[in-house]
Amino acid sequence: MRRKQKKDNASGLATTTVVVMRLYVAGSAPNSLQAIANLEAICQEYLKDSYKLEIVDVFEHPLRALADGVLVTPSLAKVSPAPGTKIVGNLSDRRNVLLALGLKRKVRKVK
Amino acid sequence: MTLKLPVSNRNPSRTDDEPGLNGLILRLVKSASALHAIESGQVDAIMDPTTGNAILLPEAQKSLREGEARFRSLVGLSSDGYWEQDEHFRFVSYLGAAIGGSRIDDEGIIGKTLWDVPFDNMSKADWQAHQRQLKSHVTFRDLELRRVDHAGKLRYISVSGEPIFDQEGRFKGYRGTMRDVTKRKQAEAGLQEPNRVARAILDALAADVCVLDAAGTVIMANKGWHAFAAANGGIGAGVTEGANYLAVCDKARGNERVDGIAIAAGIRQVIAGERTLFRHEYGRDSPAGRYWFILTVTGFSGDGAARAVISRENITEPLPELEYTAANRLPVANGLLAVLPRKEYQRLRASLEPVTLTYGEVLYEPREPIRHVYFPNNSLVSLLTTVEGHKALEVGLVGWEGMVGVPLALGSRVSSVRALVQGTGKAMRMKSARFLKEFQQSLSLQRELYRYSHLLTAQVTQTAACNRFHMVEARLARWLLMTRDRVRSDEFHLTHEFLANMLGVRRAGVTNAASALQQRKLISYSRGNISILDRKGLKAASCGCYQTVKDMFDSTQG
Repeated sequence: MRRKQKKDNASGLATTTVVVMRLYVAGSAPNSLQAIANLEAICQEYLKDSYKLEIVDVFEHPLRALADGVLVTPSLAKVSPAPGTKIVGNLSDRRNVLLALGLKRKVRKVK
Repeated sequence: MTLKLPVSNRNPSRTDDEPGLNGLILRLVKSASALHAIESGQVDAIMDPTTGNAILLPEAQKSLREGEARFRSLVGLSSDGYWEQDEHFRFVSYLGAAIGGSRIDDEGIIGKTLWDVPFDNMSKADWQAHQRQLKSHVTFRDLELRRVDHAGKLRYISVSGEPIFDQEGRFKGYRGTMRDVTKRKQAEAGLQEPNRVARAILDALAADVCVLDAAGTVIMANKGWHAFAAANGGIGAGVTEGANYLAVCDKARGNERVDGIAIAAGIRQVIAGERTLFRHEYGRDSPAGRYWFILTVTGFSGDGAARAVISRENITEPLPELEYTAANRLPVANGLLAVLPRKEYQRLRASLEPVTLTYGEVLYEPREPIRHVYFPNNSLVSLLTTVEGHKALEVGLVGWEGMVGVPLALGSRVSSVRALVQGTGKAMRMKSARFLKEFQQSLSLQRELYRYSHLLTAQVTQTAACNRFHMVEARLARWLLMTRDRVRSDEFHLTHEFLANMLGVRRAGVTNAASALQQRKLISYSRGNISILDRKGLKAASCGCYQTVKDMFDSTQG
């Protein structure tokens, strides 16, 4: 299991909520690698240090994926803050990822 | 809803073979977004809850297989074999060619460690160092191993490896590559051989050869060049690897200035590629006469940068046969050393150090300790005594026939006279303490030095009397003849000023005497360069003191 944890900077970002996520991947299959890269980029840009990401390889921990109700990989689960959401695919649709993570409100198209 | 599933889409011919996968997907995946993701090819695997396994979709499988094949082919490009070791450093797999005939895989290395295989270039300590590397789980690169293969030929293998860890960070062993580097090793050894041959040929040449880089710095020189640099004055003195020959030429002064400028310009043209060959002939004055050299500069490009090869040959005609045949017995330029038995000389030689004495150098001052004794080769040393209120007066002259530092042999460690170098040239010198030790041990050295001391005393007493009673012209003639004998050349460089000091007369006196000798065509004298034209005539013009001293010398020469 690969873990990636970024500690909250207590003094600087005391008021920011830490986003906890779990990404389910299938080894080093192409969509899985792309999902990791896409998510890393989004986190760097929007969350800086205020997130925790756990990467679960379903080949190593299939039962854990099943227990979490994951049937398709790659898929990303937001654990906290509530509500928990899930998004499937290689996370190349950035807008959908931001919506799922609650980092962007749904806006109606102006035009 | 019509669903385009990956299996049927991408492999229509095999739709019938794999209805199970599509069926499984349809059965398991209910969410529309997930189905959409599958349809757009963004999914790698789905979970089968009945078996508890993840099932890789065909596209991802293919991609992983391709990735692995690509990796293997890259490994294959840069190496001959790929291996893995377990946590006890035993080989568990080997993939690849039999390493260039070394057939290491045939030996059955599976189950063995690297040090179980008989390599002959690794000592126990080498293996211990390698094992320490492995135990600290670091990457090692290019460990070169040598062994004799089945055909009895030497084989070189280069091994690199990196540690493997599992997901929990536990050490699982090593994996890496092996390369057969025998050809490279042979090529390296082959390259050194012509180098050694070239070096030996270069050193065997009579010419002095060196190579300059584009900036004029000497990057290599042969034995002849080194010997010249150590023993001579003028351009080239002390110029060995690392010194800049162009700078030395630019800085040349006096008689050598014009030659220096010409040589530097020629070398620069060759380096710049403006000409392929430059030759320059030049002369150099020394107390033993004038030497002629020819300098040849050729250019070549070594690893792209311009280089110049300088070859210097001594083209001086050999001097006519010397009057003192004793000097020719051994190839030793000092007469005292030359008459010693060969064995004695060879023992002394270890303590003798070649030096260049330059005009004006003071070797001893009166009442000061003697630190070295000097055996002149072609240099000339005056012994001067000072009287209060007067300039120093020469009382003795030492050249190749003698030694400077005679008081040591007679039991005094202090000089009574000033020893001043009158003619630049080479000499051999020995530390005083060493000399005393050798002197006590060597009977023949004692005999020669006692004889020489006697002759020197005779010369000094004769000179004292001569200075008191004889005319300047006769004394000048005597002095020129004595100098000639001691530097073994009919030409030398002296000024009126200097001659006046030597003879203890005013400058005008010397000028008159020299013109008189010149008018009689015994000598020629121009700007300090003296040539003896008629030795017999000069002898006749000199006082008897010259012949008296010379007879004594000659009678005692073996």
